[in-house]
Amino acid sequence: MIRQVSIFMENHEGRLNNLLNILAENNINIRSLNIAETMDYGIVRLILQETDKGIEVLKKHNIMSSLTPVLAAEISDQPGGLSILVEALTKEKINIVYAYSFLPKKTDNAIVIIRVEDEVLEKAIETLKTVPGINLLDRETLLLI
Amino acid sequence: MYWNKSYECMPREKLKELQLERLKRMVARIYHDVPFYRNKFQENGIMPEDVQSLSDLQKLPFTTKVDLRDNYPYGLFTVPLEQIVRIHASSGTTGKPTVVGYTRNDIASWAELMARSLVAAGGRPHSVVQNAYGYGLFTGGLGVHYGAERLGASIIPISGGNTKKQIMIMKDFGSTVLTCTPSYAIYLAEVLNDMGIDPESLKLQIGIFGAEPWSESIRKDIEKKLKIKAYDIYGLSEIMGPGVAIECECQNGLHIWEDHFIPEIIDPITLEVLPHGTQGELVITTITKEGIPILRYRTRDITTIIDEPCACGRTHLKISRLQGRTDDMLIIRGVNIFPTQIESVLLEIGEVEPHYQLVVRRDGSLDTLEIKVELNEALFSDKISNLEKLEHRIKERINSVTGINAKISLVEPKSLPRSEGKSQRVVDLRKI
Repeated sequence: MIRQVSIFMENHEGRLNNLLNILAENNINIRSLNIAETMDYGIVRLILQETDKGIEVLKKHNIMSSLTPVLAAEISDQPGGLSILVEALTKEKINIVYAYSFLPKKTDNAIVIIRVEDEVLEKAIETLKTVPGINLLDRETLLLI
Repeated sequence: MYWNKSYECMPREKLKELQLERLKRMVARIYHDVPFYRNKFQENGIMPEDVQSLSDLQKLPFTTKVDLRDNYPYGLFTVPLEQIVRIHASSGTTGKPTVVGYTRNDIASWAELMARSLVAAGGRPHSVVQNAYGYGLFTGGLGVHYGAERLGASIIPISGGNTKKQIMIMKDFGSTVLTCTPSYAIYLAEVLNDMGIDPESLKLQIGIFGAEPWSESIRKDIEKKLKIKAYDIYGLSEIMGPGVAIECECQNGLHIWEDHFIPEIIDPITLEVLPHGTQGELVITTITKEGIPILRYRTRDITTIIDEPCACGRTHLKISRLQGRTDDMLIIRGVNIFPTQIESVLLEIGEVEPHYQLVVRRDGSLDTLEIKVELNEALFSDKISNLEKLEHRIKERINSVTGINAKISLVEPKSLPRSEGKSQRVVDLRKI
């Protein structure tokens, strides 16, 4: 389980730029970014190199953020790699709320970030741990990759 | 039934004599004890002795909320703090609240008037009163509480919020009278419905609702959904708190307790006193208050004085159901909307003080209302579906309270302009 920083943002030009500038000025590296959008607003989801520092910096700039626990799973980067994971969750009737991919540095494998409902988070972890070929990462090991 | 028949049904001539005597005493006291009033009188070249008839009241200066704020916190008190037994304050949305103090006699008068009000609306010593007004600095909770105790009813001091618990208590304790804001009553009715509880199975008979303006259609809606009679109560902390005026069983205007208050209606622009029956701003003078007597207080509430005999037998003048506020009422497609209504819906959903802004536009001939709501940590979710559900819930609630289909826009925290007055919560872009 790793920590994702979620930020609410109005859907205007310049808003994302403002956020990125704040993080850049404070030397906080973004490891992964995903934006979910509606007509009027979006939610920016970030995996940061230094989550705690990032949260602090955002707070200082009056940007509200919340921490969401998400799963980071290392899977093999070939056709069918992801479906092993999804199949395992489906079998346990665990719904994926959203997912996006993460760019690993030192491995040939792919990493996918998955958000499930909070109530089934533990169950999802237990399930994926037992699936061969899937390596669940905690934050530390993830960032070393 | 009356609580205090000799006062409530006092012949009008006698009532006016009583008012004049009390007014003269009050004017003399504030002149001698409060520099603020003395200065105002002197600026206008008036002496307390100039008040010889009730119509002389018109010569005297008004008092406004700004005066109360300027004299924050205790500047308008006429007695030393050692004689004050309770302090209340009204919620300033931002800035300083308005502070009022009560002597032991003030608390007793308030309980008396609140007891009268409860009885007028059908409350009895055997009533079980579920008081869902907030307890605290706000006058609603404790005001109703003391009146119910004076009446001898059984009061349940549950205060506001915690709707499921309210319903459990209503069921198990057999509440017969509910006191809260009308918007909360609607919400309670909806939750009852969602929980599959038939209101007929409850012992609830009467609702006494106030602290925000509501319409006749909301009354009908509440009466139908909760299977009760719903009564309107009026009050404001600057004057006393709940129980300044109450509807009787005729449900045709609210009797204002004239042995304690003198009501006037003025034109809010020219400040001229208007004849009875004309709509304008309600001005109230307290004639018995000891802690903080207030001269000609501009309530900003819009109403009419109804000067006709009432079938209930009470002789005190009535004010019509409040038509709105001089400062922040909006009329959208013929419907009166008050920021306070929006506020209470948001409060109910978010359980924190909401920051919001109402934007009114005219598209062709149709007025539209957009409600911008600032997200906060309690409302935020990283799931779009949750935010959409939140928008939908707010929209539904606003619709059931006001009848207006508003567009709800979630905006970033701290992005709306912060202002001193509530009026700036409204942006009216209509060019009419």
